Amino acid sequence: MSPADDRSAPRVHEAVPVIPAPAPAGRPPFSPATEMRPWKAYGGSVLIVAACTAIAAFMQRHFDPPNLTMIYLLGVVVAAIAFGRGPAVLTAVLSVAVFDFLFVPPRFNFGVSDTQYLVTFGVMLVVAIVIGTLTAWLREQHEWALYREQRAAELHRQARDLQLQAETERTRSALLSSVSHDLRTPLAVITGAASSLRDGASTLSEPTRQELADTIAEEALRLNRLIGNLLDMTRLEAGALAPRKEWESLEEVVGAALERLEPALQKRPVVLKLARDLPLVPLDAVLFEQAVRNLVENANKYSAAGQPIEILAAIQGDELRFEVADRGPGIRPGEEQRLFEKFYRGANASGQPGVGLGLSICEAIARAHGGTVTAANRPGGGAVFAIWLPLEGTPARGQVPDEELTRAAP
Amino acid sequence: MNEIGRANPSASVLLIEDEAPIRKFLRAALEGQGYAIVETATGQDGITQAATRVPDLVLLDLGLPDVDGFEILRRIREWSALPVIVLTARGQDGDKVRALDAGADDYVTKPFSMPELLARMRVALRHRARAGDDDPVIEVGRLRIDLAGRRVTLGDDEIQLTPIEFRLLGALARHAGRVLTRDALLREVWGPAAVGQHHYLRVYMAQLRRKIETDSARPEFLLTELGVGYRLRDG
Repeated sequence: MSPADDRSAPRVHEAVPVIPAPAPAGRPPFSPATEMRPWKAYGGSVLIVAACTAIAAFMQRHFDPPNLTMIYLLGVVVAAIAFGRGPAVLTAVLSVAVFDFLFVPPRFNFGVSDTQYLVTFGVMLVVAIVIGTLTAWLREQHEWALYREQRAAELHRQARDLQLQAETERTRSALLSSVSHDLRTPLAVITGAASSLRDGASTLSEPTRQELADTIAEEALRLNRLIGNLLDMTRLEAGALAPRKEWESLEEVVGAALERLEPALQKRPVVLKLARDLPLVPLDAVLFEQAVRNLVENANKYSAAGQPIEILAAIQGDELRFEVADRGPGIRPGEEQRLFEKFYRGANASGQPGVGLGLSICEAIARAHGGTVTAANRPGGGAVFAIWLPLEGTPARGQVPDEELTRAAP
Repeated sequence: MNEIGRANPSASVLLIEDEAPIRKFLRAALEGQGYAIVETATGQDGITQAATRVPDLVLLDLGLPDVDGFEILRRIREWSALPVIVLTARGQDGDKVRALDAGADDYVTKPFSMPELLARMRVALRHRARAGDDDPVIEVGRLRIDLAGRRVTLGDDEIQLTPIEFRLLGALARHAGRVLTRDALLREVWGPAAVGQHHYLRVYMAQLRRKIETDSARPEFLLTELGVGYRLRDG
């Protein structure tokens, strides 16, 4: 179901979502560690070897030289993690050299007295290279996974942004076409009728003139309602219509709404079922009257001539339940919530003027009061729309002074 | 509002409105009803015209570009009680209340229909003519309110009202056809200390309607102007 009628299919070009070119796949971008200047990484290796040597020098009094190789192996692992494979290999080679020079007898030269140490060197070098390679590989895998994760999140965010953008654009085009159509129709009627009256004043019969004048008045009111709805929605969305709650009589609010709808309702029967013991309820009367009016107008619009509209209000638990029920075509299953969306027009709405704002305004007003709205089909046909408002605080009835107390007033 | 009676041909109206199309149609419609129109587009000139021409009624647009509408109202009220009806934009209930409290006799909301405006003008002119001699009996359809005799009848039935209910109905009856702000009613019925206690009115209006109206949710006599006040329907 398109948000607007088919007749008003959006003409405005929808923005074509442009997906930014993804970063080249395959290799991850250089990680911060490998991004480091090479001389820094290799310099780091030298520092690590120096640190290992310091520790080994401190330990050599208590440990045999082969045990000191463990310190250097640790250094290789650190270099592999911190700087990658190349610096790890450099660390291994340097370690062997320094270890031989400083700790293997004869000390302070590269000669080796015990050939066993050659095996130690060989093993040390191999282990260092293997550990270095493995560690570096692990690190790359880790970075790669991180990168993929970031990229997936980024793509997801972009996709969502684009979807939102497209939706906003669709809504805007639907609004534009729908609003301009609904503004133009009454304007066209008014222009036509007014020019007929002006140019054909002498030829038109009195009933025709009357009919044209009535049409102008009706269409002007329709325009006024539409503009009012657009303004209200804008103001409600901007938060400019914060409810000013007072203890109100629902009977009074409904009465005022019906009084204003009198011309539109004409002879339609309206059945009022307001609970007799209904207390004063905390609400913004002006806003709530607007919600009531929109619900009744909606019911009126979709009901065949002569079908009654029922208005019910009752306290249910700690909520006020306010309902407007009609005997119209009802609601298509699945549309119960969508009907309250802005510019959404129900499947049964085609052929009826309107932009799909009346019910959204009801919803916004209910929400501003901390309440909710629901829509459902009625047994026996038709729809029922309800506003549920929380009742908080003590009803004001008890706070109204008695007759006795006020007799002294002037 | 039911019939558009011809006005007293000598009734003159000062129209202070900056929108030329609105002046144009009001002049045409009001002259058609027998009123003499003086129009002006600025508030400054409006204040001068009101003082020099002394019209029978002023139609004042609240949204003038040069002088604030309330200021004009205040300046006119400094020297005169002549009836002023303000023209307001939709949704500005606060402005309506302010204008009424500042001494406006009534208001119409743009866009308004001519019968609506003419009805308000007739009520305002009639109250002006009657000012000073309080009519002790007010009749609205089948409802008859005898202020001096403190009796209210609906058709042939006498309605029993409590003192508060009577004071409330009496206040509305003395201004029959005109809107009374909630605070003005509270002041008149309960005294100045009650100003702001709007829920008093809701409780007592409900009681009053139950006694007078056939269907209190669709009142015939006691009309609610939401966010502004109450009005006893005229004629």
